[in-house]
Amino acid sequence: MIPFLTVTAARKPRVLTTVALIAVALLAACVAQPTVPTRPESTQQTQPPALPPTSAPAETIPPLLPTQPPVRPQPSAESFPKTLAAAGTGPAVLALARQAQTFRSAGRPQDALGQYERALRIEPKNAFIWQAMAETHLALHNVEQAESAARKSNSLARGNPWLELGNWRVIASALGVYGDSPAAQAARTRADEIGSALAASGGGGAMPAAASAVP
Amino acid sequence: MIRIKSPLLRWLLIGLAISFSVGLLGLSFWLVRLDQDVRARYAGVRWVLPAQVYASPLELYPGARISVTELRRELERLGYRASDELTGPGTFAVSGSELRVDTRAFAFWDGVQPEMRLAVKSDASSLTSLRAMGSDASIDLLRLDPMLIGSIYPSHSGEDRVLVKLSEVPPLLPATLIRVEDRAFADHFGISPKGILRAAVSNLFGGKGRKQGGSTLTQQLIKNLFLSNEQSYGRKINEALMAILLERHVSKDDILEAYLNEVWLGQDGSRAIHGFGLASQFYFNKPLNELRPAEIALLVGIAKGPTVYNPRKYPERVKDRRDLVLQLMEDGGLIRDDEREAEALTPLGVLNSVAGGVERYPAFIDLVRRQIKGLYREEDLGSEGLRIFTTLDPRAQERLEARIIADLPDLEKNRQLKPGTLQAAGVVTSVEGGEVLAMVGDRNVRYPGFNRALDSQRPIGSLAKPFVYLAALADPGRYNLYSSIADEPIDLKMPNGSHWAPKNYDRQLHGNVPLHVALAKSYNLPTVRIGLDIGVDRVHDLIEAAGLQGPPRLPSMFLGAINASPLDVAQIYSTLAASGYLTPLLAIREVMTKEGQPLSRYSFQLKQTLPEGPVYLTTWAMQKVIEFGTGRWAVSVLPAGQKFAGKTGTTDDARDSWFAGFGSDRVAVVWVGRDDNKPVGLDGAAGALRIWGRLMRDLDARGIDLTPPAGVEEAQIDPVTGLLADAGCAAQVTVPFLSGALPKDYAPCANAGQSSPLDWLKDIFR
Repeated sequence: MIPFLTVTAARKPRVLTTVALIAVALLAACVAQPTVPTRPESTQQTQPPALPPTSAPAETIPPLLPTQPPVRPQPSAESFPKTLAAAGTGPAVLALARQAQTFRSAGRPQDALGQYERALRIEPKNAFIWQAMAETHLALHNVEQAESAARKSNSLARGNPWLELGNWRVIASALGVYGDSPAAQAARTRADEIGSALAASGGGGAMPAAASAVP
Repeated sequence: MIRIKSPLLRWLLIGLAISFSVGLLGLSFWLVRLDQDVRARYAGVRWVLPAQVYASPLELYPGARISVTELRRELERLGYRASDELTGPGTFAVSGSELRVDTRAFAFWDGVQPEMRLAVKSDASSLTSLRAMGSDASIDLLRLDPMLIGSIYPSHSGEDRVLVKLSEVPPLLPATLIRVEDRAFADHFGISPKGILRAAVSNLFGGKGRKQGGSTLTQQLIKNLFLSNEQSYGRKINEALMAILLERHVSKDDILEAYLNEVWLGQDGSRAIHGFGLASQFYFNKPLNELRPAEIALLVGIAKGPTVYNPRKYPERVKDRRDLVLQLMEDGGLIRDDEREAEALTPLGVLNSVAGGVERYPAFIDLVRRQIKGLYREEDLGSEGLRIFTTLDPRAQERLEARIIADLPDLEKNRQLKPGTLQAAGVVTSVEGGEVLAMVGDRNVRYPGFNRALDSQRPIGSLAKPFVYLAALADPGRYNLYSSIADEPIDLKMPNGSHWAPKNYDRQLHGNVPLHVALAKSYNLPTVRIGLDIGVDRVHDLIEAAGLQGPPRLPSMFLGAINASPLDVAQIYSTLAASGYLTPLLAIREVMTKEGQPLSRYSFQLKQTLPEGPVYLTTWAMQKVIEFGTGRWAVSVLPAGQKFAGKTGTTDDARDSWFAGFGSDRVAVVWVGRDDNKPVGLDGAAGALRIWGRLMRDLDARGIDLTPPAGVEEAQIDPVTGLLADAGCAAQVTVPFLSGALPKDYAPCANAGQSSPLDWLKDIFR
């Protein structure tokens, strides 16, 4: 009947990205410091605990009271879930993730993003969904969103090395789009460190399916 | 042959013959032109199709936090009818804790959700099972059809409509329309000589009573589409000729379909309700194909004159008219005698208030309008029938409205203010994704006037303070949550020579206070002291990074001399709530064409703009606002055992009362004040906090995740000195620090020496 004006669709501006970019530029300095935390705890798991040469103090000093942290026992890599399904995800979010995977396989990444967003409305802190979103953005060459979603996933990963591995790979690829910058190299190094630590820990290179989907 | 002798007569006749021929020729030309005109105009008919605006759909899944009772309410809001058994889409039945529902099919942006018959069970708070009826298989997830909450129609004509196809409307509707308006529709050629004759006779002998039209549906369509409302013979003749011509080019079905979509069926302020599709929503809040015969009869009946037959104004007159149409239906064999009797007994069923429309959620629709404006052309919005899917959560919206409606009169009573003195605005957003879930811009929540949630620019007062503390906590070499800050007088000489000497809200001095206590209790002097130490520029930059542009670069900014709207505040608090990730607040998710083709999607956009560790520490201090600070009243209403972070805001002489805060999934901002900017005698704690606390409870908001992120470590601290504590200390608190910035020294109470177990363990993990 009435042909829709495609002009308007083409004019859709990337207002959001612009706003975010401006804000970021204004704050580059203070952002820089904590976004790439160097937290080697996951790699530490893989080596025998570096006990001090003398274990004597452990005997002579009474065991720590329960009220005395700051030391939490560091969980081993195997204690972290490797996949969405193992992470206590509810059936609704699993169904959406499956649907999204179908869309991705069918070459419909935009539709996949929509499913991941539905999933995040139900489980907003699900780091696996954030990671899947990051990968989908990467496939769409939305490198900024790929990087941001991967960092978000890292923020929510709470030390899960399987997730961190995948996220650093996404970040490395996203940053690599602009050339082999130091930031891209650092991200790749980070991914490699986690990857070799996981391999050494006996994971046998069993990478989570999600991480292997990274191009 | 008659010979005309008189030359005069002869010339006269010749003249007549010539003029007749010329007249005939002229008429032919006129008809040809009219024919072209009709064809061109009809081909060019562009239905004015306003953009339709939908709320977000309710997702049903086992575990969804909605009880059967609440679900029932949701279904009623969507126009589903309760009955003993399911009789078709849009019906539901409740028995005990089980609800059965026949859902409507709906074309979403990512596919069609088909109609389904479901059995749903819940406990007191959430769904426990979801099954397809007649099957034991559990359903993982299902979307209900979203609520139509309004349309964006052109302001000049005010025409609003929902397009329908003849093939999709219940056949009883066109049949009744023909029976009532134009019985010979199927057979006539555009006009009905019999009808005209009948009308003429009736008008001649009927005196001054009702005038009969005698117009066919085709003529009425021509008039509605192309002609003015003027009552003249010239127009009548034009109308008849055009109707005849139109019938030569267009099928009866097309004419009928056009009529169904064109006819004016009601008025809602400046909004004109056109077509049966919209009228069904407007009067009954349900789609056309769910109408009962009596409801179809009502709509057909009022087509005669929606002003005279306004069912909300003249229910009795309209009932007579409806029953007459039901009788005509029976006479025409469209319904049986017993059906007519049963239908005539039903009440009109017209909603008292307008169901959808901008009048329901004016503040939110206003936001949608503004956000969509930059993306599409105004004329396309008003005419292309775009379908706009928004983030509005009707349940959150209802709860926000209920709180403001209920709590403002209480606040006025407590302060002995005249009822109606106070105004309020509120915004609720989701933490991850930055979706605007609810918005109120006036205590009269349906009033489509000044939208305070967007347009009221008020000083934010102490709401700015968390950013001063964030700036300090991002500098771990100098500040942590237990840094001791002097609460002492400050006198600042300004560049223009004047002096600035801020005071604490309670006009007291509190000696040295730990940093987080200064924020929790909203002390002004320590805040200014920290701000001056860190620098105006740092704080300014952090506020901009959080999403509010252009705070003034002045020390008074530390105490909130920044004008902002409630939505602006929601933006910067969202960035804190989302661990430092800025997501521009959005009201729109997807836009589709009227044919259901996806046009654009606005996916979550995020960017880390604030450092995560310091944001975590700031949020920790903001939890203390509620635990023991200025927001502690909220503890009495918030769910026990869950932590929320927030901040009170009060401006000079208590003109503005603010509270902004969040849990792990919801951010809410509430402002209370007066339009004339006079003092209201309410600080943030006495005013906005009361609404905010109950709102968060009503929203069923979840508490903050207390696991520290990477880059943050917790330590046991002696609360008196802020130094490390051990078993020797009577009181110890767990406090987060940025990694590597834990206090080095032990508190005097600690019995640990240089070789304490803590140091030893710390060495291991360093």
